Amino acid sequence: MIFKREFKRNIKSLIIWSIVLGSLILLTLSIFPQFAEQQKEMTKLLESLPESMIKAFGLDQLNIGDLMGYYGVRVYAMTTLLGSIYSAILASNILAKEENEKTIEFLLSKPITRSQIVTEKLFVVLVNIFILNGVSTIASIIGFQFTKDQEVPTDTFTLLIVAAILLHLTFAALAFMLSSIMKKTRNILSVSLGVVLVTYFMNILSGISEDIEFLKYFSPFKYVDPAPIINDNAIEPLYIFVMAAVILISIVMAYMVYRKKDIAV
Amino acid sequence: MKIVDIKNLTKTYNKNRGIINLTFSIEEGEIFGFIGPNGAGKSTTIRTLLNFIYPTSGSATVFGKDIVKDSKEIRQNVGYLPSEIHYYDDMRVIDLLKYSAGFYKKFNPNRMKELAERLDLDLHKKIEDLSFGNRKKVGIVQALLHGPKLLILDEPTSGLDPLMQNTFFELLLEERKKGTTIFFSSHILSEVQKLCDRVAIIKEGELVKVETIENLTKKNLKYITITFEQTEPMDLKLDGIVKKEVNGNEMTLLYSGDMKALLNQLNALPVKDLLIQEPTLEEVFMHYYEK
Repeated sequence: MIFKREFKRNIKSLIIWSIVLGSLILLTLSIFPQFAEQQKEMTKLLESLPESMIKAFGLDQLNIGDLMGYYGVRVYAMTTLLGSIYSAILASNILAKEENEKTIEFLLSKPITRSQIVTEKLFVVLVNIFILNGVSTIASIIGFQFTKDQEVPTDTFTLLIVAAILLHLTFAALAFMLSSIMKKTRNILSVSLGVVLVTYFMNILSGISEDIEFLKYFSPFKYVDPAPIINDNAIEPLYIFVMAAVILISIVMAYMVYRKKDIAV
Repeated sequence: MKIVDIKNLTKTYNKNRGIINLTFSIEEGEIFGFIGPNGAGKSTTIRTLLNFIYPTSGSATVFGKDIVKDSKEIRQNVGYLPSEIHYYDDMRVIDLLKYSAGFYKKFNPNRMKELAERLDLDLHKKIEDLSFGNRKKVGIVQALLHGPKLLILDEPTSGLDPLMQNTFFELLLEERKKGTTIFFSSHILSEVQKLCDRVAIIKEGELVKVETIENLTKKNLKYITITFEQTEPMDLKLDGIVKKEVNGNEMTLLYSGDMKALLNQLNALPVKDLLIQEPTLEEVFMHYYEK
């Protein structure tokens, strides 16, 4: 019941995000062939950029004349950031909206447990994130067809997708936990979007100067840095562990808080 | 069988006064009034019974089941009408009612149409376009639709016009005939008086008294108006005068003492007219409250 209702309520924004993200990916990949042709001049142009900027965007480790390198720098930055923003917005609202708009009194008077409410809403978040990633995967595969002479290694591409999903789930789980604790959706949204953006810039800043390199450990965006994934064809196990732990702890917390809290509107 | 059984129930939370040590029970098939001014703890009691909030101490059962452990089973057979209705604005009335019905084992579309018709409710309107009173009607249908064994109504008549109130009371009496128990919270005494068998009075979170309506209105208190022949101040010295007001040659009394003693005193006085009436519940209520 709740799943169906929530899915329906959120489908409009899922469609909009899917269209926007899908078209951005297609658009970006469609200009790669011309981009690769002019690569020599581009390389020169890149060399003229300040070193810190090159580092910040990972251009020192990836060759953007290469399809995978181009994908990592240009496309992957979009899917990870936009997907994280979408996940944070979706999960921030889903539980607290009922309290914020006082419809929770209706829902709680029905014969369901609090855990059922949390489970069905959590499920909506997971399904929507998987659908969005499905769309971006399909858009990428279509986009790769614009380039005929370069192969996309399936295993690397799969790793990148998995890493993006893990990242989105991490932010979603954090926002979902906040949604179980706090009541005002506006505040939850600000906090969880803040976390996404701050960690995103922490990752970029950490590349600029060695003095603040430690910042990278606090940024999930660093965990899914495309350069090592593409170059080594692997995700650092520690990073997977940290993200999995954040996801699990946040979800368990959400259940514990929501089952025991007083809900009076 | 006790449908609701509350034992030493206490709930305190942050700013609210909450409820302190409530103990009372509601029998099967009863219409039980729950009255007190706003903020006395009526809604807190109801929310605790439905496990929206957890009790601080004490316990309660509904249908013999624990309100915390067996809350889901309890709610299968409870219809709840909140004092303020908040529904999903993007839904039409019929969507909301179907969504609500989907949570229960039984759904009867004919019953939904019948209830909507009697309450003069348009099923195809959007909820955000409804007035306060019409929202209340959606709430009433929503509470009755699944044929609950216990109806919990929190300030149910607010927003309903008098005609609709009558229809609503008729519906409640029909439900009672089917064996439904009704827990009726209100701060309007006349409607409780009209409908209920027994009433619990709550004040500042504490139970003042549980009485049958009959006892409350008939047993002790009389509302007495005496008109004297002259306007000189007269005085009555009697045990049991709760309230006395003198207005010219007219004296009104709220009297709970012995009737014979009153008549004996009046016998010696120049009484022109005497009127003895049942007090309204408001007056009875004030009497309990002023203590």
